[in-house]
Order: sequence, then structure tokens, then C-alpha cells
Amino acid sequence: MALLQISEPGESSAPHQHRLAAGIDLGTTNSLVASVRSGKAETLPDDSGRVLLPSIVYMGNEQRLVGQEAQKFQSDDPLNTLSSIKRLMGRDIEDISQLGNILPYEFISDEIQTVPRIKTATGPISAVEVSAEILKDLTERAEQTLGGTLDGVVITVPAYFDDAQRQATRDAATLAGLNVYRLLNEPTAAAVAYGLDQQHDGVIAVYDLGGGTFDISILRLNKGIFEVLATGGDSALGGDDIDHALGEWILEEAHFEKLDVVLSRRILIAARAAKEALTTRNRTELSINYAGQHWQGCLTIEQFRLIAKPIIKKTLTPCRRVLRDANIDIDHISQVVMVGGSTRVPLVAEMVKSFFKREPMNDLDPDQVVAIGAAIQADVLCGNSSDGKMLLLDVLPLSLGIETMGGLSEKIISRNTPIPVAKAQEFTTFKNGQTSMSIHVIQGERELISDCRSLARFELRGFPPMVAGAARIRVTYQVDADGLMTVSAEELTSGVTADIVVKPSYGLTDTEIGSMLKASMEFAKEDIDSRMLKEQQVEAKRVIEAVDSALASDGDSLLGEAELNNILLHRNNLEQQIELSTSDNLKQLIKAVEVASENYVAKRMNSSVVNALAGKQVDEVNL
Amino acid sequence: MKTLDLSQNYFELFKQPLSFEIDLALVHENQQNLQAKFHPDRFVNASEQDKRLSVQQASWVNEAHGTMTNPVKRARYMLEISGIDMKDESETTSDIEFLMEQIALREQMEEVPKKQNPLEECDNIIKHLKVRLKTISDDFSNKFESGNLDTAKLVSRKMQFVQRILEQVMDLQFQLEENYS
Repeated sequence: MALLQISEPGESSAPHQHRLAAGIDLGTTNSLVASVRSGKAETLPDDSGRVLLPSIVYMGNEQRLVGQEAQKFQSDDPLNTLSSIKRLMGRDIEDISQLGNILPYEFISDEIQTVPRIKTATGPISAVEVSAEILKDLTERAEQTLGGTLDGVVITVPAYFDDAQRQATRDAATLAGLNVYRLLNEPTAAAVAYGLDQQHDGVIAVYDLGGGTFDISILRLNKGIFEVLATGGDSALGGDDIDHALGEWILEEAHFEKLDVVLSRRILIAARAAKEALTTRNRTELSINYAGQHWQGCLTIEQFRLIAKPIIKKTLTPCRRVLRDANIDIDHISQVVMVGGSTRVPLVAEMVKSFFKREPMNDLDPDQVVAIGAAIQADVLCGNSSDGKMLLLDVLPLSLGIETMGGLSEKIISRNTPIPVAKAQEFTTFKNGQTSMSIHVIQGERELISDCRSLARFELRGFPPMVAGAARIRVTYQVDADGLMTVSAEELTSGVTADIVVKPSYGLTDTEIGSMLKASMEFAKEDIDSRMLKEQQVEAKRVIEAVDSALASDGDSLLGEAELNNILLHRNNLEQQIELSTSDNLKQLIKAVEVASENYVAKRMNSSVVNALAGKQVDEVNL
Repeated sequence: MKTLDLSQNYFELFKQPLSFEIDLALVHENQQNLQAKFHPDRFVNASEQDKRLSVQQASWVNEAHGTMTNPVKRARYMLEISGIDMKDESETTSDIEFLMEQIALREQMEEVPKKQNPLEECDNIIKHLKVRLKTISDDFSNKFESGNLDTAKLVSRKMQFVQRILEQVMDLQFQLEENYS
């Protein structure tokens, strides 16, 4: 309501106008939620004091469990215990088969153009739905801790995520009923969390090795502005790969006679435990017991280094590349920030140090730093933060292009172009009377279409028939601040327009999201009415507070008695009904207060503008 | 929301005189000031229309910045706003010496994968091409300043040639690296 928007110039909003916002790190291995409370960004723990929520969903026995509860089933029921699902976001069956046997699940994909679903005892489920479950769990935690409904969230994604992976993340948030302020790149979030802009201006590198993804970003910091110069990485490379390499080693050592999914899962769990043990020790014992097969072994740090080195070495190629793309010499990097649980492996720190020729920074918990940065950004975006100067300028991680003759790609927007960005391209017809044309949008750096990711194929139809070469079709590609693309097209001589929202070829259609929303609502114990009622109650309280504080400050000076009484009448009426009424009724009552105060709002606006204008330059007011 | 005057040219937007030699630091500073006003992050709670407007204006500012900071795009843009028709791409240079140089460069590029250290070889070619681009850019600047726009247009074509081959070498290096790792 309009009353809420009035605050004295140069002053932050009054406490009761505070919006609840959170940052969510939706990770491969663990997920976290953080929020700014009393000016400090911190991760929010669950009832048992745990900050990390394992990104695991259990789908057995007619129940859905999330996090630690789900993790318990990992070693005994691996096929129904869904983990590392982030690796499947925005991926089609073919991509998944290229991941090899990293994930044990059985996939169902009935038709082309629909997302692959994992077969479980409780029915098929897509990666987007699994992620939505994790998001819901974190949202509930945040809303309980913060005591209200979240106005919006910032969700982090690997900087190197392509359009399809970003869209899938957004879809998961929609499914979880969240208002997403922004998708924020994980390395950028980490840079924000370190608050390096406060300490110095300069160029920094953020090295982010997670469970399943690797990002490297080069940023220039200048007075609260975080400008990403270049970003690179590998969206299918992470600590999981070290576990798998260790798993292979165990298989060689142990000579198990019969390998099934449960044993494979146990081998991986043992491998991960060994990796973690070796971050602080020089050797570790491993033991696996399953179905009459026993193995006991010992892994030394030397052996571990031999196994892990080729994987970590793979991260250095993107590092060299981003430096070139950013046009920055290694010597000009003033800080290297380490992010992601996998940077706890001492060999990672060692190799990063020798590459960048400087000691990397790891003062903040590498598991929490991304969520904290996201919380700070969410706080700024929702308007709570008094520090309005912070601004994050990010880039497109992978080039966007279209298919041309012979299966080759033509770049339309190059990688590392600052976003948002729009590019237009003109085409003409090559046949007499041609009224349609098809366009295939792809993302990636390779020359051959088959080596790039197919984002969308669409047909432009309905332009008037003309002789070949006479039609002029302008296609505009728009990438927004989330790194998501939309395409629109227009035939210039006739003005016929066609709008196409690019959904990844194998992304979810709106109907699919719709039906999933319905299903998840049926699944949820709380029905939608009660949620809406809760929202209206919060809104009603907010309106009453706003009216009260406005009246207290200038009610007497701006209002006549009749008008004041009328406002009070509706205000009191609303207050009486808060706990008794339905959501629709409350909505009406809120509206009544707003209508009664309309004239008052206008008067306040005028007087505040007059106050604001006093002694200010036109420039400053002119926003 | 305050709207940008889209009728101004990029030089006006970044408060620069219409000249090839620009104050890059100042352009950069102006870019950040403009983004601070128009970036979509400033309109998260605004109406849908203002959100769209912000995406469009921030995009325009980024496009302008990208054109100003890239010498080849900047040169082309300067000619365009000076009324020179730049659409006809078929026009090529008749400078024989320059053509020979281009052919030699392409041959050198084709040899790269056979070299002992192809990545380093790419680095060498890139370094050389950047120096060449600078020399030709200086030539462009002189021709433009002296008002000789038709000649400046021919020089800008040379800049495009060099830029294109530079991009090809960089792509090649990218792919070689992928195959090596």
C-alpha cells in the first residue's frame, strides 16, 4: 500500500517495513539458507543446530524425506535415495548417459521434449522436483526462524551454468512457491560475502570447487561495485569425481565378486570418508562389509594425491582461459578466494597456490560463504539494506549462437559479455513466397552444433509472402540479469511480430509446471487457503502499523477530524477481523483502509516531496 | 522511472568527444554510474513494465559500452554515425601488401596444430595481431581526424580483418586446450 512507500529521504525504512528475504545455496552435496538479521548475514540452522542440509531426497515407503532424514537411507536403499541431483538439472537423457555411471538411478523419458524422470518407489520424479523439495525444506526453516513469509529469495547457481540449467533452477523455485529476486552466480556471491570491496579495490579471482561443479571467476572491485570480467569452469566437475576415482581404486584393490548398487554406494561413501579424513591426516583405514563380502584397506596421502591430481588439474585449464578472456595477467590478481567444500582438500589449495603464485584466502567457511553472499544480495534487492551502493555486474558464461548451414554455429552473443544484453540480427527469405523460417538457438563455444547445447528450436510464421530476399526479419535475443534468454522476432516491412520465450528443448513446459504444482499441493499437508490467509494476516498487520505510524507522525497536521475518523474506523474494523476473517474478506478490509487513506497518502506524498526537495540538486531528486 | 535518452549516440552517452582516442577510464566510470541507475537489480520490486524497461536500458548501456571499448566496433560506429554506409560487407581491400599479409597469417594459423607447442604458438600470433591492430587503429584515427572518411572506411575494414583472424586464433587456442586437457 502506498503509505508504506513513504520514508524520509536518506533514511532507511522503519523496522516494521522490513521485508523478509533470504539467500539460498542449492548445492550438489549440501544446501543452505542464510539471511541478514540485525545487520549481519548468517546461515540459519535447523532445530538441531545443523546449518548444512544434505541435498538428498528419499522417495521410498510412500514418503518424501529431505536432508539428514533422507541421508540415513543412502547406504541401504540407494535407488530411492536421490543425491547429487544438481548434476541432472537442465540435462536430457543423452547428457545423463554421458555422465557415465556416476549416478545409479534408472531414468524414464517417455517422449522427446520432456524432462527425464528418475524411477523411485514413490513414483517418477524429475531433478527439478527433487530440487523443489530441498528448496521447500529450506524455506520452511527460514520462515520459522525469521517468523514470517519470505518476500523473496536469491538462489545461487554455478557461474558456468547454461541457460537450460538456470531455467531448471528457476522452475524448481516456482514449484516451491518462491519469489526469486535473482539467480546469483556462486563465485560472485562468495566475493560479496568476503566483503573485499570494503578493504580494497582491485582484481580478484574466485576459485569455487563444489561437489559437482567448478567455477572460476575474475572480478574487478571498485567502491561497492563487483564487476565480473570473465567466468569459466566446468559444470560437470567436482569433488564427486574424486570420490569416483577413489572408488575405482577401491574396486581394484578389493576384487569384489559381485557388484550391485548398494555395494557401489557403500564404496562411494567409504571413498568420500577417506577423502575427508585425508584433509587432516596422512593415512586412513577403509573397511567395507556387505552381503558376505569384506574388504579392509589403507589409503596413504601419497596414493590419494596420485589419484586426485588429474582431476584437480582439469580445473587449471579454465583458470588459464578466464585470465585470457579477462585480459588480466596473473601478477595483477590481488586475491584468490577459495570456495566450495572440495577446496578443503590440501592438494587443491596447493595447486591453486602454485598456479596463481599467491596464498589463497580461505578465512570464511567454504561451505557457507556462498549462502552468506546470497543473503547479503537478497537484503539489498528487497530494499532492506541501507547500503544501496552495492551492485553486482555479471556476464554471460557461454556464448549464444544459432545454427547455420552445414550444422555450424554462428555466435550472436559471445561469452563474458556483460548482462543484461540484447542483440538483434536480420534475416531475409531465400524462396519466393516464403512465410516462415526456423531458428535453432544453441549455447557453447564449439564450432559444430552437435558439440554445443541445443536451447530451443522455433519457427517464425505468418509473415506476408514476398519475393525472395524482400522480407526483412529482425530477431532479437535478450539475456536478462539472471542469464536467461528470451527471443522475439519481427518482420520489418509488414510489422508482423512473433514473441518466443525460449524454453530449453527439454525444459518444463508451463503446463508441466502447472501440473507439478498441483501435485505438490495435494502432497502438502497445508492447503493453499491457509497459506493465503497467513499472507493476508501479515499484510493486514503491516497496513495497520503503517497507518498508526503515519498518523502518529503527521495525522494531526494533515487531516481534518472527519477524515481522521473515517480512516480510524476502517483501521479498527480491520484489526478486529484479523484473526476471525477469511483471506478474501481480509483483502476487502485492507482495500477499505487503503481507499479511506487515499487522500491522506497524497497529502503525505506532497509534504514529503516538499521536504525532500528543500536544499537538494535536481539531479538527486530526479530518479 | 527515469528513462535514458536513446536518441543520443554512444559518445554522448559516455560524455566523450567524437574521436577515436577516448578516455577509457572515464568511459568505464560513466558505465558504472549508468548501471547503478538502470540495472535490473535496482528494480526488483518495481512494476513489470519498469522491470522490462530496466532490462532494455541496461542492455543498451552495455551494448554502448561494448562498442566504445572495442576499437574495431568503435571505428565502425564512428563512421556509421558520421553518415557512412557500412552495410556493404562485400567491399574488400585492394591493398595487395595487406592481402598478402592476411594470407600469410592464415597459413601460419593452419600450421599451429603441427607445432611442438601449439598453445604458445597461438599466444605468439595473438600478441603479433594485437600490435598490428594497434598500428592500423592509429592509421584509422589519423584518417578520421583529418576528415578523410572514405579512406577511414577502408582502414576500418582492415581492422575488421585483423580482428576476425584474432578471434579465430583465440577460438583455435580454446579448442586446442580442450583437446589437450
